[in-house]
Amino acid sequence: MPSQIVSLVVNGEHREFIAAPGATLLACLRESLGLTAAKRGCAQGACGSCTVLVDGRPEASCLVAVETVAGGSVRTLEGVATGGDLDEVQSAFVDCFATQCGFCTSGMIMVAEALLDRNPDPSEEDVIEAISGNVCRCTGYRPIVQAVLEAAARRREEAVTR
Amino acid sequence: MVIEAVHVPESVEAVVTRSAAGGLVMGGGTVVMPLVNSGSAGVTELISLRRAGLDGIEVSDGVATIGAAATLTAVAEHPGLAFLRPALRTIASPTLRNQATVGGNLFVAQPYGDLAVCLLALDAACEIAGPAGRRDAPVADVLAAGLAPGEIVVAVRLTPPPPGAWHYHKAMRRRLNSASIVTVAAVVTKATPEDVAGECRIALGGVAPRPVRAPSAERALRGRPLTEESLTEAGQAARADIDPFDDAYASAWYRARVLPVHLRRAFLS
Repeated sequence: MPSQIVSLVVNGEHREFIAAPGATLLACLRESLGLTAAKRGCAQGACGSCTVLVDGRPEASCLVAVETVAGGSVRTLEGVATGGDLDEVQSAFVDCFATQCGFCTSGMIMVAEALLDRNPDPSEEDVIEAISGNVCRCTGYRPIVQAVLEAAARRREEAVTR
Repeated sequence: MVIEAVHVPESVEAVVTRSAAGGLVMGGGTVVMPLVNSGSAGVTELISLRRAGLDGIEVSDGVATIGAAATLTAVAEHPGLAFLRPALRTIASPTLRNQATVGGNLFVAQPYGDLAVCLLALDAACEIAGPAGRRDAPVADVLAAGLAPGEIVVAVRLTPPPPGAWHYHKAMRRRLNSASIVTVAAVVTKATPEDVAGECRIALGGVAPRPVRAPSAERALRGRPLTEESLTEAGQAARADIDPFDDAYASAWYRARVLPVHLRRAFLS
């Protein structure tokens, strides 16, 4: 089977690109669309650095053959900030020192976004479970958990003041 | 081998036709795609179940029918299958549970496949489609003997246990997202009025090349109250039903050693 044209809605925009058979969603995002926030870590689904949202839910994009999600909606870290302004999760990661080398950060933020979309007031345990598929070798996780809880608090506060 | 085609058929019939022509069937890709990424899949064509209409979940008249391509997340979110939530929470991460499927879980190597252990304890049935048509088979047979060439599991069917009859416990090296050292799933109904164990089905994971029933433990428990004493005896009896292995998570010796403890904890935790 030759390469084919695949359509996706990526960060709200309709995108088309040519994909070789069996190309992963991750490879297409990075190599065809130039969206390099999602990282190739283990390519086995064990590290979470490639996590993006597919139809609103976190998935390991290294384990998704792109043909299987053709026509679907994908959200990456590049779609999180609006007009150059960091969102609550991103700014909380900065303020809580939740990123060091940065390799895990985009995956961590995407699972946090999905968690807060479904659960605006997560417990610490909820956060720990949400990031349990994402490996960080720098921070020891504590600042990341605090950043997600802080982001949730900021988002709730904004919802009140809005 | 390089992948030359990924088929995404839109019906069961199309999956079966495609599968008969060769190619590896995958549900969510959490097991197949790591092989593809490392170049060790051994096939050139993949057949995805993602669009085959096999992701439905229906619970009615006390029977649950779960499509083979339903994700573990979808099962956990279904109000009629709430008893499975604690078990599903012990399997991989929420991210992978958004991808991993019920059907796929039947075909993963131990010490993975904790949902298959649950399905074995539940005495679930598999609905199978193949070149020769449809058939049903107990999940125990599918786990033991696999499928004929070209066949796929399209759904699993189970009876949710009565309140208080379901027991599950998984020992792992971390609290979340780790493979099984010992997994225990059991349906034990109480015989009234004596309050002793009546119908008894205990399945184990992590302690044999595939999920296994523990008939020795079931015999040891039947007709007795669920106490520390009876459960410890059942756990010791279960050692006759296992064939444990060494891996990075635990040694075979350790698995056999701690089995009675974890069998007891499945009931008295």
